[in-house]
Amino acid sequence: MLASLSRSWARVEIALASFCAVLVTVLILLNVVTRALNASIYWVDEAAIYAMVWMCFLAASAALHERSAVSVTLLRDWLGEKGQNWLGRAVDICVLIFAIALLYFAWRWLMPLDLLKAGFDVEAFQGETFNFVYAEPTTTLGIRKIWVWSVLGLFVFGTLLHAVANLLSPLPKAKQSVQT
Amino acid sequence: MTPFIFAALLFGAVPIALVLILTAVWYIAESGNTVLFDSFMQQLFSGVENYGLLAIPLFMLTGELMNEGGMTTRLINAARVFVGGFRGGLAYINLLANMFMAAIIGSAASQIAVMSRAMVPAMEAEGYDKGFAAATTAAGGLLAPVIPPSMLFVIYGVLAQIPIGDMFLAGIIPGFILVVVFCLVITLIGFFREMPKGVWMTRKEAQAALLACLPAALIPVSIIGGILFGIATPTESAAVASLIAFLIGWLIYREIKPARLGTLFARTARNASMVIFMIAAANVFGWVIIYEALPQKLAALITTITADPFTFLLIVNIALLVVGMLIDGIAALILVTPILLPIAMNNYNIDPFHFGVVMSLNLVLGLLTPPVGVGLYIASAMSGASPGQILRALWPFLLAVTGVLILLSYVPWLSTALI
Repeated sequence: MLASLSRSWARVEIALASFCAVLVTVLILLNVVTRALNASIYWVDEAAIYAMVWMCFLAASAALHERSAVSVTLLRDWLGEKGQNWLGRAVDICVLIFAIALLYFAWRWLMPLDLLKAGFDVEAFQGETFNFVYAEPTTTLGIRKIWVWSVLGLFVFGTLLHAVANLLSPLPKAKQSVQT
Repeated sequence: MTPFIFAALLFGAVPIALVLILTAVWYIAESGNTVLFDSFMQQLFSGVENYGLLAIPLFMLTGELMNEGGMTTRLINAARVFVGGFRGGLAYINLLANMFMAAIIGSAASQIAVMSRAMVPAMEAEGYDKGFAAATTAAGGLLAPVIPPSMLFVIYGVLAQIPIGDMFLAGIIPGFILVVVFCLVITLIGFFREMPKGVWMTRKEAQAALLACLPAALIPVSIIGGILFGIATPTESAAVASLIAFLIGWLIYREIKPARLGTLFARTARNASMVIFMIAAANVFGWVIIYEALPQKLAALITTITADPFTFLLIVNIALLVVGMLIDGIAALILVTPILLPIAMNNYNIDPFHFGVVMSLNLVLGLLTPPVGVGLYIASAMSGASPGQILRALWPFLLAVTGVLILLSYVPWLSTALI
């Protein structure tokens, strides 16, 4: 159940990340064309950067599901099958610790309880906590940055889901994938 | 305790990005500076909010489109026109085609994969030793991260906060030096063992081959020309190059099916995010480096050994060769640049572009050396030659790259002349 949810979510993440990759390409091309016509659109660069960051966090979470992130496998390759399984589980636990840590940091950063206490009144929340996370604007897009940052929420959710699912499902034969 | 945690996670096969983040978390918790946890997520995000990094997915996409679009065989055919008739012609063709490819692809691993599949069977069919064929191809792959565009240079440029376009220019002369030196190596090997004789193309064949390659040649021209003449940023050049690659592959060579684009974008997103997420992680790891004053401590140690920039570079080269043997090149670059670059610039007055070229070439050499030589294993898997067989034929090339590395370390001008 959890494993299939994790698999489906990873598929959604990759689909969204691929869309972001398309968006990056289209936006930068748009920039080239509009600049050549002397009609640059000022928000395109920022939008492209955020599309890339979204792509990065979405696909990075999916990579945890696929266990395909770059790692140093030197020692693991020397171990026997039993040792490799032990190490595989230890890595899964590290990924879970990572996911829980992220959840904790997101909690500290977004202070949801204080926001609730302030009745979702951002100004009252800021007066109480001096935390301006909900009010920070983007430079050129005209929206609040919290919308852009919200990918971190998806990232925390994804890593937690994949970490727990990986820990509960049998270990596959791990493979290394790199780009240099 | 922090270094111990770092080493345990790193060699325990934890994904490198997580190693960096978990080490930073441990360090902050241990040092009691827990207020840093409040801005942890923001720091993770801001590490990749960088215009220069946009070039990474775009150059990867160009590479994907080019592989899919049948440009490899046309580039190889064009290379045949220039060097095909010499004794050992195919070995030179391999090298020249690798040079063309390096001007399109920025990643040694993917270039070795593509070229091994294309060149090794052809060389074997003409009577070359399989190990030598795979070794020549693998060595040619080393040109990818030096001749622009280069993934390593993009990442280094972002980390060092220097213009990526200039960093690309810095790689052009070292790239040509490598090509010349590899040619000499092949010629020298030809003195010791008989190589098959090549055939020159007829004038008509040559014209047809060059004509077929002409559209593909637009890609490197648009990338390097755009940057060289300041028309476009490296990011924009990459986007234009990917568009050209798509149009040529689709409309002229008719080998790209638009329906395949989804798969290509998904692969691009996966591969690019792997690199970009490591950079995000390195940004929080930066806290450890800054608070621990690692560069200053290391600088104090190294400056007692030498005050000479060249000696310093030699020490760095030896250290990085070891690092590159154990850790993937990009990850190693992300790890060591924030530590070594401040020392190189502040204590030894080394130009950051010069330092970047030396470091990148050095780290990429690790791709072909055991025990972690990913490039070696890719070449082996694609060509069917065993890693040992390839390594036996590869050592003259590795020796040559080491020589070039020393030359580049000694003569900064070779890297900075074009900037």
